Amino acid sequence: MKTVEAPPPGSGGRSGSGRRKRSPEALSWAFMRLSGLALVFLALIHFSVTHIINDVVETDYDFVAERWHNPLWRLFDWALLVLALSHGVNGLRWIVDDYVRDPGRRKAVKGLLFGLTGVLMIVGTLTILAFPSRPL
Amino acid sequence: MSPASTRYKGKAGQWAFLGHRITGFLVFLFLLLHIVDVSLLRWPDTYDQVHRLYGNVVLRLFEVGLFFALLFHTFNGVRIVAVDMFPEAVRNQRRLLQAVVALTVAIGVPGGVVIMWPFIEGRIL
Repeated sequence: MKTVEAPPPGSGGRSGSGRRKRSPEALSWAFMRLSGLALVFLALIHFSVTHIINDVVETDYDFVAERWHNPLWRLFDWALLVLALSHGVNGLRWIVDDYVRDPGRRKAVKGLLFGLTGVLMIVGTLTILAFPSRPL
Repeated sequence: MSPASTRYKGKAGQWAFLGHRITGFLVFLFLLLHIVDVSLLRWPDTYDQVHRLYGNVVLRLFEVGLFFALLFHTFNGVRIVAVDMFPEAVRNQRRLLQAVVALTVAIGVPGGVVIMWPFIEGRIL
C-alpha cells in the first residue's frame, strides 16, 4: 500500500525497512520528503514575491525581464519548476495507483500523465532558458 | 492492494490524508496551467494580455484559494515529515493537525486580504 500518511501507532517498522532496502518506492518516498521540504521554501517564496510583496498585475513581462536578468532567480525558478512538477507527478502516480484499478487503464492514464509532465518540463525549461538575458 | 486501501479509520489522520490529496491535486492542476501561461513570455504582448486576467476579481479569489491549498499542503507535509522523524508524535495526531489548520488560517487570511486589497479598496470590480 502506498500512502503519504505516517505509519499507524506501533507499526514503526515500515519506513525503516523500506529505506534500507532502497527499492524504487523507498526512493520515491524519500524524494517526496526531500523535494517537499525544499518546496516549502521555493513555493512559499515564489508565491510571496508574485502575490503578496508585489501585486499580481505588477508581475508583467518587464517584471520577469528584470528578475530573470539575475541568473540566480532563473535557477530558483527552474528548481521550483523541476521539483514541483516531479513532486506533483509522483503524488498523482500514487493517486492513480489507488483509484485506477484496471491494469490496462492504469497504464494508459500513467502514460498520459508522464507524457504531459514531460512536455511541460521541457516547455518550462525552454521558457526559462530561451528568455533574452537583457530586457527588450 | 484492496480497493479499501485508501480508507482507514484514522479520524484526524484520515482527514489530513484526504486534505493533502485534494490540495496536492489542485496545486498540481494550477501548476500545469501556470507553466503554459508563463510560456507565453515568448510573445511579450500576448503574455501581458493573458497575465492581466490574473488581476480580475474572480481570478483573485482563485489565487486566494490556491494560497490556502498551498499553505495546507505545505504545513501538513511538514507534519508528515515530523511524524516520520519522531514516530512518537503520532500520539498528538489531533493536536498536530489542529496546528496545521491554525497556521494555514493564520497566514492564509492576511495573505488573502493582501491579494484582494485592490478589490477591497474598490479599485477593481
